[in-house]
Amino acid sequence: MEPAEVLSPQEARVLQGMDDCLFSEEAQRKRPRIQRLLKTFRLERPRMAIERAMLMTESYRQTEGMPLFMRWAVALRHILENIHVEICPDELIVGRCGPAGRYGLLYPEVRCTWLEETLATRAEGKKLPYTLTDEEADQIRDVLLPYWKGRTLFDRHYELLPEETRKLLYEEGSSMPSFVVVESATERHTLQWILDFEKILKIGTDGIKAKAQARLESLDPCEPGNGYDKAMFLRGVILVCEGIEIFAHRYAELARKMAEECTDPARRKELLQIAEHCDWVPMRPARTFWEAVQSQWFAQAIYRLEHYTAGGQGQGRVDQYFYPYFKKEKEEGTLTDNRALEILECLWLKVAESMTMRQAFASPHKQGNAHYEAATIGGVLADGRDATNELSYLILESKLNFPLDYPDLSVRIHARTPEKFLSRICDVIKEGTGFPKLFNDECIIPYFLERGIPLAEARLYNVSGCTEVRLPNRDVYLTGHCQINMGAVMEMTLFGGRLSLKNNRKYGPDTGDPRTFASYDEFWQAFTTQLRYFMRHVLLQNQIFDSFKSGFLAAPFMSMLHDLCFEQCRDIHQGDQEGSLKIGFWEPTGFATAVDSLAAIKKLVFEDRVLSMDRLLNALQSNFENDPVARQLCLNAPKYGNNDAYADEVGLQFENFCRSLSHGYKTVHGGELDVRYVPVTAHVPFGRVVGATPNGRLAHEPLSDGIAPQQGADVNGPTAVLLSVAETQATPYIEGAARLFNMKLSPQAVNGPAGTRRLSALIRTWCDLKLWHIQFNIINNATLVAAQKDPQKYRNLIVRVAGYSAYFVDLSPDLQQEITRRTEHMF
Amino acid sequence: MVEPTGIIFNVQSFSIHDGPGIRDVIFFKGCSLRCQWCSNPESQNAGPELSHNRQRCLGVAGCGSCVASCPYGVLEPSPENLPHVRRDLCHGCGTCARSCPAQALKLMGTVVDVEALCTRVHQNDSFYAHSEGGVTLSGGEPLLQPLFAAALLERLGREGLHRAMETAGHVPWESMAGVCPHLDLLIYDLKHPDSETHRRWTGQGNERILDNLHRVCAMFPHLPVLLRTPVIPGVNDSEEVIERVTELACSLPSVERYELLPYHRFGEAKYIQLDRDYPYKGPSSIDKERVAALQRIADRVEQEHC
Repeated sequence: MEPAEVLSPQEARVLQGMDDCLFSEEAQRKRPRIQRLLKTFRLERPRMAIERAMLMTESYRQTEGMPLFMRWAVALRHILENIHVEICPDELIVGRCGPAGRYGLLYPEVRCTWLEETLATRAEGKKLPYTLTDEEADQIRDVLLPYWKGRTLFDRHYELLPEETRKLLYEEGSSMPSFVVVESATERHTLQWILDFEKILKIGTDGIKAKAQARLESLDPCEPGNGYDKAMFLRGVILVCEGIEIFAHRYAELARKMAEECTDPARRKELLQIAEHCDWVPMRPARTFWEAVQSQWFAQAIYRLEHYTAGGQGQGRVDQYFYPYFKKEKEEGTLTDNRALEILECLWLKVAESMTMRQAFASPHKQGNAHYEAATIGGVLADGRDATNELSYLILESKLNFPLDYPDLSVRIHARTPEKFLSRICDVIKEGTGFPKLFNDECIIPYFLERGIPLAEARLYNVSGCTEVRLPNRDVYLTGHCQINMGAVMEMTLFGGRLSLKNNRKYGPDTGDPRTFASYDEFWQAFTTQLRYFMRHVLLQNQIFDSFKSGFLAAPFMSMLHDLCFEQCRDIHQGDQEGSLKIGFWEPTGFATAVDSLAAIKKLVFEDRVLSMDRLLNALQSNFENDPVARQLCLNAPKYGNNDAYADEVGLQFENFCRSLSHGYKTVHGGELDVRYVPVTAHVPFGRVVGATPNGRLAHEPLSDGIAPQQGADVNGPTAVLLSVAETQATPYIEGAARLFNMKLSPQAVNGPAGTRRLSALIRTWCDLKLWHIQFNIINNATLVAAQKDPQKYRNLIVRVAGYSAYFVDLSPDLQQEITRRTEHMF
Repeated sequence: MVEPTGIIFNVQSFSIHDGPGIRDVIFFKGCSLRCQWCSNPESQNAGPELSHNRQRCLGVAGCGSCVASCPYGVLEPSPENLPHVRRDLCHGCGTCARSCPAQALKLMGTVVDVEALCTRVHQNDSFYAHSEGGVTLSGGEPLLQPLFAAALLERLGREGLHRAMETAGHVPWESMAGVCPHLDLLIYDLKHPDSETHRRWTGQGNERILDNLHRVCAMFPHLPVLLRTPVIPGVNDSEEVIERVTELACSLPSVERYELLPYHRFGEAKYIQLDRDYPYKGPSSIDKERVAALQRIADRVEQEHC
């Protein structure tokens, strides 16, 4: 029996013309401070924050020739001592890396040619996504560009690449990606990362400084292996710790000064309290919940001043490390739930203020002002018992009542997740804004065990990025990943290494005319030869980057918080710490596009012989225009995502092959590269350079995203999709991580209490199937179609994009179309 | 003994309207009623038959694989360039459907055995387990294939699954009696309490249906029954009708709930695909509030039997 139409709560609000609930009357009443704070920056264009870049450059000029680690320590300290301090009205958590309002930090040492383009665009009077004053533009032109041009991370790497690899990665003579193979290593200092916040909260930077001092005193420089390097590391750490204290104290002073001038007694009291906090943290152990949150923010602000992660700076297990402070104060009666939420929401606003400004051109493969600052809740304790506590519920429920699009709330699910907790999670998911995303302990903990991590430590993993996870005292691998366009690999297999939408340019090897292939095996051989060719360049790029970056980058702050780096007195970018986990990854983008195309060729061309290779190639070349029958045959061939054994077997073969490419390869320091599926939104621009594919996809259309079926190809319902995802996952856990899985359900399918139970059962089964990740869009397709037509009315509609949610109207038309075309499971 | 086989036209996973939890619904072919509003017209005839989706079809001139492939030569181009099925001569062999690249032609009705169906539905075990779901037989009328239905349900029960069946009840009592021991929930449809009206809209009177309902409740007092009525404007959407059925249900202790299903017209397109007219000419939808008001009457059953 089919349903009547049901709307998600979010859809209902938008359709009734109600305000964004962030600005509703109820929110004004319950969250006046957060409302005021939100309004100050929500409507304004973000600033480009150049101060950090200027100070970094100033310091770098003066330290030519100094050992790398020390050079970075001096630079960070210089920034902390001199960067502008400002406390905005209403703020409870203070400390900023840029000017008031939203800002994007500049890191010219990573890439800078894009800044020239930005200045040129600005000079033409065109609108930029960021505000930049004339004075700042001059400083970029006169100071930053002259110093960094030709000596950035990107430039150095580019010079080292062989011509052949360079051609695959970038457009001719530019730093723009080719979208055939994309590297992300030169767009940031590091992959997604998590700081050990618990350490900061518990022992403070004074604790670390004291350890460093003691260690320095006990070092015998004459003992082999104990020499200059270690002493320098420890001195650098001490230098940074002092800088941090100066930074915090500058805020304490400012708060006190503002308190003196403040006429509002309530605010004066707050400012004095803030001053007290900044006198104390992050140097010493936090004493209260508020202080703990302040300490956490200082830590990540300093981290942001040091390094650029491109959005993936995780918040860690917030319901765990904040809990002792919350519990103590709750018991003592000095903290209410509302106050705790207010403080936490002040933190989320600090996170949101500091935006991710791409250190490359405003590139289309990450859209919607992505925030990937995953805040993890739930999961298990070190002893395996369920970890949820009152704070977990409080944070979860705040997402229901007040769906800020940051941080990116991530929940760890395990076999014994309490039903009560899970049903609250379902309620939040049903709200329809794509939060929270779910991670599976039953998959991820064994993954770490397989890597040799002790069980108790594996149980404490953090969500660090889109779908990635980290152990903050074990992981050391920071090199960004490469993505290989699987649609392009398919096209090149069919057309002798050429891409029709790239002026028929030859990128891949000539693997022969497929018309001459006698069997599917021969086709598979050609396909894998192509893929292997691109993988070889990916690995080459990885080797080159790994080898040179340890002489280019250092991160004293990150390193001092890392047990292994600190013990071994070795910067994290050296990447060779004993006992460390050195895992990076690469990604085949467009899993389902490749799998469905392979399945179609196998079935139609070689088994059923209803379509000759010649006819298929002609059809593809005409974008199926001259042969609609062939397109229909292709569209109706077996498709991944339907629990179809035929397609899933091809999928498993593909996955196993990808893993075999990883297997046996070692990075410079003996690490490994996982196969992961985290396209963010890359599958859209990747699709734009790929002609028609044998799965029936037309030229320019997006590739499939993550581990999801090709948009619209899954017609057998959500259970079938989940089973396909499970069937194509090679069972040994090693090398298999971060399979991003988007599922779209109609609000009808999860309507009412029975719908909550159904969603909960779906999630339990996903947990049983030991799949890595899942996230939901609960939305009617009609709403998305309407939002494309009337963006003004739907300006507050939030949808799940990839590892993050964003405002639908902020996305490009292509991406909006892609999300609309994902199958909406109803019934 | 040879395992019985059956003919079905669909298995739908993640079904949420026909029994508790997440379920697989197996749709049996063949029905003894011809309800004018039927939303599954492809279920009515007992044998396999072709359905043709004009929107998907590439046309005989552009494709024509169906016309070329039919061994009996019963397909011919229509003036609109679409394949015309001479249904009186069609054997339902499915050759054309297999050759159709666009899957515009589909053969409704496949012969399956118990083994194959069990393998299929067990893939969703974990979903059933977590949602207290299971398998529902629907149709069509599953009790027109009583031996197959009983064998299937018996096996599914042995293998630990919750079993429900949806029936219109217009079958010989023996069929009902043979299947009910293998059920955990019986979903029983009653379109109208008055036999004449029933006959007018469904082609059959309701005596056998009412008789079977009483007998089931008497013979299988422990089998929970969910009584259902599709509420059709101008047919049974009156307080009086719902009141009468509610009265009846209240007198049958094993009827746990009486549920009303609002009329919808989603099945209309399928009639065109089968070259049939949509028989029901009434309003195209029913007021939600109206159904909710009637449901409040029907809720008395649950209240009294709880």
